[in-house]
Amino acid sequence: MPYISVSVSIFKPKLHSLSLSLLMEELVPSSSEPLSPQTLASFRSFIINPSTPQSKISSIFETLTRSLQLTPDSLVLNLLSELASRHSNLSHLVFDSVRSNALLSSESIRLAAESLDALASISNTDPTLSTAIDELDDRLFVSLCFGPSVSVRSWLLRNAERFRIGPYLLLTLFLGFTKDPYPYVRKIALDGLVGVSKSGIIEDRSMINGCYCRAIELLGDMEDQVRSAAIRTVSAWGLILVASNLETKLYWSDDLFVKLCSMGRDMSMVVRVEAFDALGKINLVSEDILLQTLSKRVLAITKEKRSLGQCPAEQFEILASNVAGVLVHGLEDEFYEVRKSACHSLRTLTIISAEFAGEALNLLMDVLNDDSMFVRLEALETMLHMATCGHLKVQGTHMHMFLGTLLDSNTLIRSATRKILKLVKLPNIELFRLSFDSLIENLEKHPQDEADIFSVLFHTGCNHGKFVVSTINEASEEIDQASEGKLGFDSARVAALLVLAISAPLSHGEHVCSIPPRIFSYAVTLLGRISRALTDIMDQNALLAYLSQCSISTTFSATELNIRRGEPCLPVANIEIPNDTSNEIDGSTRTSSQQEKDGASKLQSWTMREPLELAAPLGEFQVEVRDEVMKPINLILAKVKDIWPSIHSGFTNEVLRTLRNFKEELATFTSDSLGTIGAVAFTLQYLQELQILELVLLTCTLRLCKVEICCHFATLKKLSTTVSRVESILKSANIEPTIFISEVGKLLCLNEMSSSEASCNPFMFKELLKHFSLSQFVLCGRLNQIKAELTIPDNDSENPLPFVSRLPVGIPCDITLHNTSNENKLWLRMSMDDESTQFVFLDLNLFGSSDEVRKFTYVAPFYKTPNAISFTLRVCMGMECLFEDVLSVKKYGGPERELTYLCQEREVHLSMISEH
Amino acid sequence: MAIDSLVLGAGQQVGKSCVVVSMNGKRIMFDCGMDMAYHDHRRYPDFSRISNSGDFDSALTCIVITHFHLDHIGALPYFTEVCGYSGPIYMTYPTKALAPLMLEDYRKVMVERRGEEEQFTSEHIVECMKKVIAVDLKQTVHVDKDLWIRAYYAGHVLGAAMFYAKVGDTAMVYTGDYNMTPDRHLGAAQIDRLQLDLLISESTYATTIRDSKYGREREFLKAVHKCVAGGGKVLIPTFALGRAQELCILLEDYWERMNLKIPIYFSSGLTMQANMYYKMLISWTSQKVKETYSTHNAFDFKHVLNFDRSMIAAPGPCVLFATPGWLSGGFSLEVFKHWAPSEMNLVTLPGYCAAGTIGHKLMSGKPTKIDLDKNTQLDVRCQIHQLSFSPHTDAKGIMDLVKFLSPKHVILVHGEKPKMATLKGRIHSELGIPCDDPANNETVSISSTHYVKARASDTFIHSSLNPNFKFSKSISEDESGSCLKDRRFMPQLQVTDERTAEGILIEEKNKKAKILHQDELLLMLGEKKHEVRFAYCCPINVSNLEETKSTSDNVLCTSDRCSWLQLLNNKLSGEISGGNIQDFGEHLQVESFDISVCLNDKCPYRIIDTQNKSEAVFFCCTWSVADEKLAWKIISIMDNFDCESH
Repeated sequence: MPYISVSVSIFKPKLHSLSLSLLMEELVPSSSEPLSPQTLASFRSFIINPSTPQSKISSIFETLTRSLQLTPDSLVLNLLSELASRHSNLSHLVFDSVRSNALLSSESIRLAAESLDALASISNTDPTLSTAIDELDDRLFVSLCFGPSVSVRSWLLRNAERFRIGPYLLLTLFLGFTKDPYPYVRKIALDGLVGVSKSGIIEDRSMINGCYCRAIELLGDMEDQVRSAAIRTVSAWGLILVASNLETKLYWSDDLFVKLCSMGRDMSMVVRVEAFDALGKINLVSEDILLQTLSKRVLAITKEKRSLGQCPAEQFEILASNVAGVLVHGLEDEFYEVRKSACHSLRTLTIISAEFAGEALNLLMDVLNDDSMFVRLEALETMLHMATCGHLKVQGTHMHMFLGTLLDSNTLIRSATRKILKLVKLPNIELFRLSFDSLIENLEKHPQDEADIFSVLFHTGCNHGKFVVSTINEASEEIDQASEGKLGFDSARVAALLVLAISAPLSHGEHVCSIPPRIFSYAVTLLGRISRALTDIMDQNALLAYLSQCSISTTFSATELNIRRGEPCLPVANIEIPNDTSNEIDGSTRTSSQQEKDGASKLQSWTMREPLELAAPLGEFQVEVRDEVMKPINLILAKVKDIWPSIHSGFTNEVLRTLRNFKEELATFTSDSLGTIGAVAFTLQYLQELQILELVLLTCTLRLCKVEICCHFATLKKLSTTVSRVESILKSANIEPTIFISEVGKLLCLNEMSSSEASCNPFMFKELLKHFSLSQFVLCGRLNQIKAELTIPDNDSENPLPFVSRLPVGIPCDITLHNTSNENKLWLRMSMDDESTQFVFLDLNLFGSSDEVRKFTYVAPFYKTPNAISFTLRVCMGMECLFEDVLSVKKYGGPERELTYLCQEREVHLSMISEH
Repeated sequence: MAIDSLVLGAGQQVGKSCVVVSMNGKRIMFDCGMDMAYHDHRRYPDFSRISNSGDFDSALTCIVITHFHLDHIGALPYFTEVCGYSGPIYMTYPTKALAPLMLEDYRKVMVERRGEEEQFTSEHIVECMKKVIAVDLKQTVHVDKDLWIRAYYAGHVLGAAMFYAKVGDTAMVYTGDYNMTPDRHLGAAQIDRLQLDLLISESTYATTIRDSKYGREREFLKAVHKCVAGGGKVLIPTFALGRAQELCILLEDYWERMNLKIPIYFSSGLTMQANMYYKMLISWTSQKVKETYSTHNAFDFKHVLNFDRSMIAAPGPCVLFATPGWLSGGFSLEVFKHWAPSEMNLVTLPGYCAAGTIGHKLMSGKPTKIDLDKNTQLDVRCQIHQLSFSPHTDAKGIMDLVKFLSPKHVILVHGEKPKMATLKGRIHSELGIPCDDPANNETVSISSTHYVKARASDTFIHSSLNPNFKFSKSISEDESGSCLKDRRFMPQLQVTDERTAEGILIEEKNKKAKILHQDELLLMLGEKKHEVRFAYCCPINVSNLEETKSTSDNVLCTSDRCSWLQLLNNKLSGEISGGNIQDFGEHLQVESFDISVCLNDKCPYRIIDTQNKSEAVFFCCTWSVADEKLAWKIISIMDNFDCESH
């Protein structure tokens, strides 16, 4: 190439004048020919290697720069930007070199674009260059865009933000390139327009209007991808246009809505999904347009008026056919993605108009028959939104379909339905009974839902005091009969009735006192089960107090009770409307929902906790991951409860196998996202410990029941230690003990105080047994597992640690602690084969302050080295259980209380130093 | 160029679909159906109109069959085996598989039951099917070097397709029957956005608009459940393929959910066999069936059993699917005779029944007695539930499809005349697309797109590669579907990219057409550029002109001229803001506006009488059209300019 030879003649003298270090000779070809790929590869390894001397890096830089001057090449460019990123001291030089050599002198547009890329990435890594990139001329970028290469053009447009082009220029470029003959460029240009719209810089209305109209033109593009990008653009700029002027707000909002509706019947699934997603972002539409979307026929009223919303009448027919039945089509689409998106769009749209919400609900109820679980769930969640906004008006015709979902095999669907039931205001007692019966059916088919069902019953009861009273009065005989047996309300129905009954006094009405007080005493026997269901309202003590109060008299006000205040659970007319995830459109949602507030608040009464939960967007990944783990864990915990009958029947082996299976299942949760480790570890621990320990307690109790038993004292002692252990586990997880455990604990306390043989009345222990029931434990919230890792480095039987007999020896321990605080008392336990044990206290204050993870090496002294050639020491780390009352016997200045061991025991091998 | 569409069947009627389209020298027959209502020659399309000589092979390029229904394929064996057409026939794989079953079934009914003279034999069917070339969805088939066809999914029945055909630059779509909404087993029609000269669409439901399918399903299930719960028998007359499977999926689902144990029967072996085909042709079913078939094939009906004739009189509730669908004869009619007298029983009727069938009679009002033939009368006491399920698109669907495809012309077939007329009007008024609804044996001629192949010059190609967009503001441009006509709102920002507008198409005799860039034109023509310029000789009053003249022998010297120009220059610079005035000594120039002192007393551009204007100095001005505004501005400045000489 003549070009090269000319350049060579220019630069050759310069080459000689450079004092190249000797180092370079091996690397650089003698002449100024393009660097070979091998050379470049070796350069790259030098650049990457952190131990390459600086001088060599500089010489590589110079060679590369020269090469760039002679024959600009993208590989060289890449190396240079890599060099800049790894050696920041050179980044300015590289920047200048690329700018002066490659950017402008290059003949190829592609290379110019690549150098622009290199410059942008260099300035990214070196903040001091950020002004330099700003100084680059926008004109260069623009001229490159106008070059003939389509790939460069699309790349530049896609990366425009990196080059800090002014928003107006960028807008002009994007707008212009929406005319590009290449669909891909059009799509990128449209996406770029969406990006610019987010910056919020553009305030000129004609500009906004221009973008909006241009995007509308592209709704008719031949390419699916362009059409769907056009929908996003229309939506983005349309919403800005709507917000830009209060006077024309409704006009533009209607216009935008109609335009988006026209895409609801596109042949491409992707486009349809995009259209419904966009429809769900509009929060102001004329009611007649909205109603028209639910009817494929043009509605009679609309026909008479011959106008739709604020849209010009002359185009009535086209408008009407665009809008007609769009949402119906969306909800019965072939693709579940579209149906789901259409369901979702109803969330905002139903807020706009109550009439529309009513019509939409009819359709939504049919969607509950959809064959896709995702769609059914979305429909239910939309209904929940409607309920929280006070737009869910259920009718008798809906109930069959709606309550049917309570029997769905999917847990999520059932729970979503129950959430709605909590909020729904039922118009008459027939529907109330129907709902109650369906809940009972749900309870019978899926007993694991019990807590949630009780909670629903309680909330529903509070909302419908009058219905509760009449239901209970009719059923009181049934309850009484059940209580006559042995106060064991086995029947789910009776238990449910009790829960319903006790909710009545909390509803605000004059029918408060008509529940017979004995019902409340019956309810006390279910205290544990009920309190677990009502954790969002009151704790167990409050519930007990409430029940005992009610069982005496129901004429009191709810405020007298010790029900958790501060939580929005008492009747307060304060509703948080769950805002959709899109924040841009909040403005008018607020205002419109504000108007609804008065009406809605009356309906909602005091079940505000659910909507609040909902208001927190579930988008956070962590939450989801945790949920994914939590659910199966809770499922396992639920199953554990179910194995109790098997234990009862003596199938110990089966039970053990089941437990093993659960453990294996738990082992599959390797996800180490925040908060889950603790939960998994706890569950593992729970499976083996709590479960077993409670059984141990039971056997002890059983043994103590027998009068003739001889080893009374030992059993009692075992009982007390087990209780403390159980309590420690319970406390570390912050859970309430079962009635049985707490009763055993109480009895033991009594025993200790009196310490007389008489108190060890077998009869008392027999009484205890009645309290025993293996109940389900539900895990919610976050647990931290306190654990430790202990290793003795470089030590095994081949490489023992040296020691001198009778002299102390230091054991080097690598210790990692998780979730410990400085209050924890940690001990190293070192025991020899002969069971002699020594404890060493670890003062955590000395080892860093991080609570979550701390890592350190500690040399533990072991004093009582034996007179032996070699010996092994078992080392383990334990934590003192501060909350444990039982003091163990002090040994060797060891811990005061029992230790919970945090890691596996390690063996340390020691051998005597041979005397020379 | 023109596209001629000869409608041989289904013109302003439902039945015997057959359209022969001629475009760019190719002739395609779309569908070859029969009319079930007739038993004479009228049942077939009038093939003699294609070719008088009977040489169909040279008259037709190919036949395209959209789906296996007899009103779309019934005449095919007759046409190939009796009339002697032996050219290529295209249909989709499922249609090829299922069509022989349908034809054979029909032949049997006609010949064996009715004792008619047979129009074609079983061998004919076999031979006919041998000529068929099966195609796949979205597969472009080159029929010959000019004609391409491509099938698109149409819903309707298993294997139904719309066909796109393209010859040269002319393109069209023939829809056959299609459905724009999905049902339980088939998806909705799906087609690309194509540039079409012609769309031939069915219009069975030209004025009907159907509500959500959810409601229809709910009502059907309710009626069936109520009947069987009361111990009644449900007769569902259907054709073997399509509706039977859709309703069965629906019932299966419901049976499963409600845990019902009442038997569901399929009457004939054909239906069971058809289920087999459905199971195999899973890729032609709806999205949902496709997604789930690996775990559970929706056509594996758990509750369905085979029905035996002896079970007709058996007691107890049941659901029976029996053919044919319109109770026009066969097994379904036989069962109907037995079950109709009991009010416990239920008969469901399809949304459409051909005139003359028992089904049709039942649909019109609720008759208590029905004449089966001259001698027998039947008491009808059973309940009748009319299904509004239909595999055809409704009017809205047709409009949606036409709007999406936006062809240049629409022809409606396969519908009832008055309803078609209504739809025709809507397509014309709402979408602005010309539309026809020809009767049978009419030909519709429309013009088609004709592209000219042209070479492009390098300069033009080069200029086309680079974007060249411009922005302009236009006041409310008339654009269809826009709400922006309202005058309350601002003018619209327009973007244009005019790189193709810079080209010039040159067609010379006996030479290939060529596109040049506008800059190249003069060069090619060997012509000079002509420019139109305006000229005006403008007088400027000079108060002491006489003195000046006397001193210089009535001749203005060069320096004077220059000084006047200088004065003018100063004046203009002051008045025109931003104007770039260039002084060339002898003349001034602002953009294309050129001023020089005019010494020619007889200057042709001098409008004002020179005699009375002796005290004026004349300036000759010329300018090009582009700067007209500027020119008049300068001239008005000069008019008011009073020049003082020194």
